[in-house]
Amino acid sequence: MLIAETFKALGDPVRLEIIERLSSGSLYTLSSVSKDLGLTRQGARKHLQVLADAELIKMEPTGRNTIITFAPASLKAADSFIKQLERKWDVRLEALREFAEGDKS
Amino acid sequence: MDQSFQDSIEKVIVINAPQEKVYEAITSPERITSWFPSAIEGTLNVGDRPILDFGEHGKNQIYVESAKPHEYFAYRWIPGSRHFIGDVLSQPNTLVEFIIQEVENGTRVTLKETGFASLPAEVRDQKLAENTGGWDYMLNRLKELLASK
Repeated sequence: MLIAETFKALGDPVRLEIIERLSSGSLYTLSSVSKDLGLTRQGARKHLQVLADAELIKMEPTGRNTIITFAPASLKAADSFIKQLERKWDVRLEALREFAEGDKS
Repeated sequence: MDQSFQDSIEKVIVINAPQEKVYEAITSPERITSWFPSAIEGTLNVGDRPILDFGEHGKNQIYVESAKPHEYFAYRWIPGSRHFIGDVLSQPNTLVEFIIQEVENGTRVTLKETGFASLPAEVRDQKLAENTGGWDYMLNRLKELLASK
């Protein structure tokens, strides 16, 4: 997962709010996680699908409901020290690129 | 786990800036703090042992192994260590290399970090806390980006 793709999926206030709710660790359903966000069920599903495609959450249909869990692929890789360091280098190199390209001095 | 332990990292990025500027960004103490540590004590000449300051993530004393303007820069450190001050060469360490090449559309930086297999298990095992920190960092950065729009 590229950092840029993760940012893209999160680059929306509604999806960011959903992620913040989920990252508290509580159990959510499609309706509870999108509560008070002014979304239709269809709209909520659409946003959640974007997050699921970016491998940030998991959606598990159970009966009439869908259980939503915060399960970023990047966190699942936490059991690998190397993977974690690789992500750090991704972030650092991206920062280097931004700095070198933006620095006109 | 150990038999499949990966010993190296290699990352490549192309930067739309001249090779010399990219080399400076990596090796100048004034510039490196714009993208890597938040502060640095010391300089980045071959044989130097500057301290990279990562703020709340601790300080890390490194050893500058090699430099060839504007193509190559390498240092040794103990990765993942939240706080290491001392002689990095006296401990199992990794070698971090920046290979900086001019390409058609800018400058290609190849980052290599090697030597993980030599690290003691307790260094390799500090995982979840730091990882969560990385996630917080990303979320905070994103919030700042959204807020500044």
